[in-house]
Amino acid sequence: MNVVEVKNLQRKYETKKGWVRPKKNSVNTVRGLSFCVQKGEVFGLLGQNGAGKTTTIKMMITLLAPSAGTCKVLGLDVEKESKKIRKKINFIFGGEMGVYRRLSARDNLLYFASLYQLPSSMIDQRVQELFELVELTDKADCLVETYSKGMIQRLQIARGLINDPEIIFMDEPTVGLDPIGAKMLRGIILNMRDKGRTVILTTHYLYEADELCDRIAIINHGNMIALDTPENLKKKHATKDHQTLEDVYIKLIESSNSEFKEGENR
Amino acid sequence: MNVILQTIRLQIRNSWVRPMFRFCLIVNPIMNTFFLYMMFLNSKETNFLAYVVFGSGLMALWGCICFSSIGDINRERYMGTLPLIYASPTSFGYIIFGKIVGNTILSMSAIVISYFTARIITRDRIQIGSPGYLVISLILAMISFSAIALCIAYLLMISRKTTLYMNLLEIPIIMLCGFSYPIEILPQWAQVIAKLIPITWVIKLIRMSISGVISVREYCKMFFISTISIVVCILFTWWLYIIIDRQIRVKATLEVS
Repeated sequence: MNVVEVKNLQRKYETKKGWVRPKKNSVNTVRGLSFCVQKGEVFGLLGQNGAGKTTTIKMMITLLAPSAGTCKVLGLDVEKESKKIRKKINFIFGGEMGVYRRLSARDNLLYFASLYQLPSSMIDQRVQELFELVELTDKADCLVETYSKGMIQRLQIARGLINDPEIIFMDEPTVGLDPIGAKMLRGIILNMRDKGRTVILTTHYLYEADELCDRIAIINHGNMIALDTPENLKKKHATKDHQTLEDVYIKLIESSNSEFKEGENR
Repeated sequence: MNVILQTIRLQIRNSWVRPMFRFCLIVNPIMNTFFLYMMFLNSKETNFLAYVVFGSGLMALWGCICFSSIGDINRERYMGTLPLIYASPTSFGYIIFGKIVGNTILSMSAIVISYFTARIITRDRIQIGSPGYLVISLILAMISFSAIALCIAYLLMISRKTTLYMNLLEIPIIMLCGFSYPIEILPQWAQVIAKLIPITWVIKLIRMSISGVISVREYCKMFFISTISIVVCILFTWWLYIIIDRQIRVKATLEVS
């Protein structure tokens, strides 16, 4: 069963400069992506910086409107039925942003629990469970501004799980996490898969993608250049000297870059 | 309802911990009161202390709204929390509404600070002609300030130049709406603009209540105009919300570029 269906998805960013005769500039970040994600799958989106991974995720989580094409999450259109989708999904962005630093971690989670309309009778229990899961119980009542980068990232993970989402989108979730934190997150992802939840993640750590993902899509310059299981990708594209997913990834990106340059020169 | 209450609570806590907000809320009305007192000292106004207290209190209140309620959009954008609250299942309109109401409630204390500052400076009592009407007028003022802040906050959602606009907005509203003088002294064209802003009408109501309501009919007439202007502002904001909710996703203005 497909929980995400993306067809010819495109996204163009338009900027204007000047007041009297504004100069318009547009950049195509996503140029016609099509793929499906199945229920219970860990799906990886890999690509270089600026390839369009984050933009694709933002369209799927209803933060951005697609410029063309369709995107359905849990059978619902991201443009027209965003409110229904938001109840059932959640997302985690890597980095130190996205928390109220002058509030305690508990207050942060309690607030997001109310935004995700959790019944008030189960909010405290859910928040406590999440603190235990991300191993922040001892520091739950400390102000977030006293947290380290890794602790903030753990808090982000807890926030992303607050509504027990059917699909969780993770954009470079292990950025800033120490090895123990990263291992903990990988455990959470695998546990979610075991529970039948779907995980869509982007990462630059290819060993992580190899370990976690059931299928991987590699995108470059907003185009899909490969989509398969990590094993099949390695089988199809590996050579005698280059056998890891990282080798395959670099080979595919380099050949795509040269094709893209040729296309631009024409 | 729970979400709005939680947002009000969070907003009050978040605002209070910011030194700039505390400055706007505490130091600003004290200084405003002192300067307005000096300006009105030799005026022929008999109950000028009321002008000083409410004028400076409302100026500080508007300052807090500009730099907190409206500026909060930018702060959330830089903290990276704006996309998180936007993409939550709760209507973004409720969240922004809660934030603005929270700030307005906290900022109303600027009037109390102005009052005590005036008492300390002058050791004089402020004569309020109709205290009951004043309470009603102040409640309406709170609704009116919230409505206008909500409208501006939505408008600024589609721009990243929030700081510039909120600086541009502060002084013109103070001058146009007659915070510390009657708008009748303004040029005709400015009076027309002033009358389109709901705040102008509630300030007239406050002033009428301080002087003492002689004609209840006149007060009710002014109350009706105030309410209508607030309703129009809310309806305009609602229309804006529908348009802007889509534009936010098209223009991608929720995050720092």
